Amino acid sequence: RVSSDGKPPKFQPPPKPVIIDRKTQKEERRFLSPEFIPPRGRTDPLKHYIERKDMIQRRKVFNIPEFYVGHVLAVTTADPYASDKSNRFVGICIQRGGKGLGATFVLRNVIEDQGVEICYELYSPRIQAIEVLKLEKRLDDNLTYLRDALPEYSTFDVNMKPVSRMEHEEIPVNKLQVRMKPKPWSKRWERPKYNIKGIKFELPEHKMKAAQKWNQPWLEFDMLREYDTSKIEEKIRKELSEELEK
Amino acid sequence: MMPIWTKSGEKHAVTLLKVQDCHVLRYVSKEESGGKTAKLLVGGKNVSPFSKPESAHEIFVEAGVPRKQKVTTFNVTDDAIIKPGTPLYAAHFRPGQFVDVTAKTIGKGFQGVMKRWGFKGQPASHGQTKTHRRPGAISTNQAAKVYRGKKMPGKMGNIYRTSFGLKVWRINTKHDIIYVNGSVPGHTNCLVKVRDSKLPTYKDCNKNPPFPTFFADGDEELPEDLFDEEIFQFTDPSVTYT
Repeated sequence: RVSSDGKPPKFQPPPKPVIIDRKTQKEERRFLSPEFIPPRGRTDPLKHYIERKDMIQRRKVFNIPEFYVGHVLAVTTADPYASDKSNRFVGICIQRGGKGLGATFVLRNVIEDQGVEICYELYSPRIQAIEVLKLEKRLDDNLTYLRDALPEYSTFDVNMKPVSRMEHEEIPVNKLQVRMKPKPWSKRWERPKYNIKGIKFELPEHKMKAAQKWNQPWLEFDMLREYDTSKIEEKIRKELSEELEK
Repeated sequence: MMPIWTKSGEKHAVTLLKVQDCHVLRYVSKEESGGKTAKLLVGGKNVSPFSKPESAHEIFVEAGVPRKQKVTTFNVTDDAIIKPGTPLYAAHFRPGQFVDVTAKTIGKGFQGVMKRWGFKGQPASHGQTKTHRRPGAISTNQAAKVYRGKKMPGKMGNIYRTSFGLKVWRINTKHDIIYVNGSVPGHTNCLVKVRDSKLPTYKDCNKNPPFPTFFADGDEELPEDLFDEEIFQFTDPSVTYT
């Protein structure tokens, strides 16, 4: 090129490359439902494989959405004794238990000042629809302490509209600290065994200190309790993605 | 064990039993055995031949089969005799059939009278001196002896027991697995003997079973999974009531 002055053109550095880390973004979003991970035991892996085939078969016909403890779900089941033969229940998911086909989740709601908890089986054929109304994770894996919390924390509107959400956003964590009813509680939630971070303890200092007496700090170093599921999870994720694409 | 749902939405628990390398080992005729019917010796799971002497391998060498961990006898009518050496598969049973399952129960070791026989024991307080789980009296005064078979502490479990009349819900021909209703004696992965039920209510239950057994090299081609009529299959949509 010929510049107007006759001098060589000013050096323009090339534009800096913008690195879009698509790989890490995609990896973080993968979710594996906890009932697919086989428990540690002496059962034949063939049994888990056959159970997984049945679970995948059910998931192809009926969509089970991704949900965690703390989400608000609406479940419609077939009920032979109801007038229009179906029953809809809205509630917050307190805990998810069981492995394989018998996996369950418990929904809690307070209806007309009466606390109601219903335990549903994920793979039961009577369930007709599961909708996720509100997506939010909580600070704990197990929200059973809501039974001893003030009822306002467990009430959810039965006709709540589903909260819209983008697919790429991360699931928000609600750092709500729940206020409890006066003691006695169904379980001593202040003890370190339950490791609850979602309660605002209004107990006096000496009681909180006394609860720490039951602390077992050696448990986190116990090697026999470690169950590393990363490799098993990888295999199962591969299997799932292959089967569901078919 | 696994849950299974029927078309009306009811849940039943089911045990999975795997048929692993079963072969017929020997035919014993009625006169030879001294019983009422002929017998067939059948062997289960394959095991290494090096832990037993050569004399113990005779039956297996005659049948042309590797050494089996367990050998059981089945009483068989004369028209159902099978040639020794034929393999047996899970497709021998069909869904809807009823079955008896025999196995050795879980061994609990030396156990006291409360766990072994269900005695009530004695109260925990109100003056009981060192007597909370003891049998108490073992006989009367007039008997002047202890009767034979008196329930007392001893080794519990590790004996053969049978559960009768279990329904077969489903059969997987590819992996040779039988889904049997309810629970079965024995621990996980123990050896189990499965037999057609001899209960009088289920005498005429089995219509057209594979007789004398299911032969893999025959003309019949079975699908991978055989289901009972009432089972909810996961390929169907969810259950609705009308």
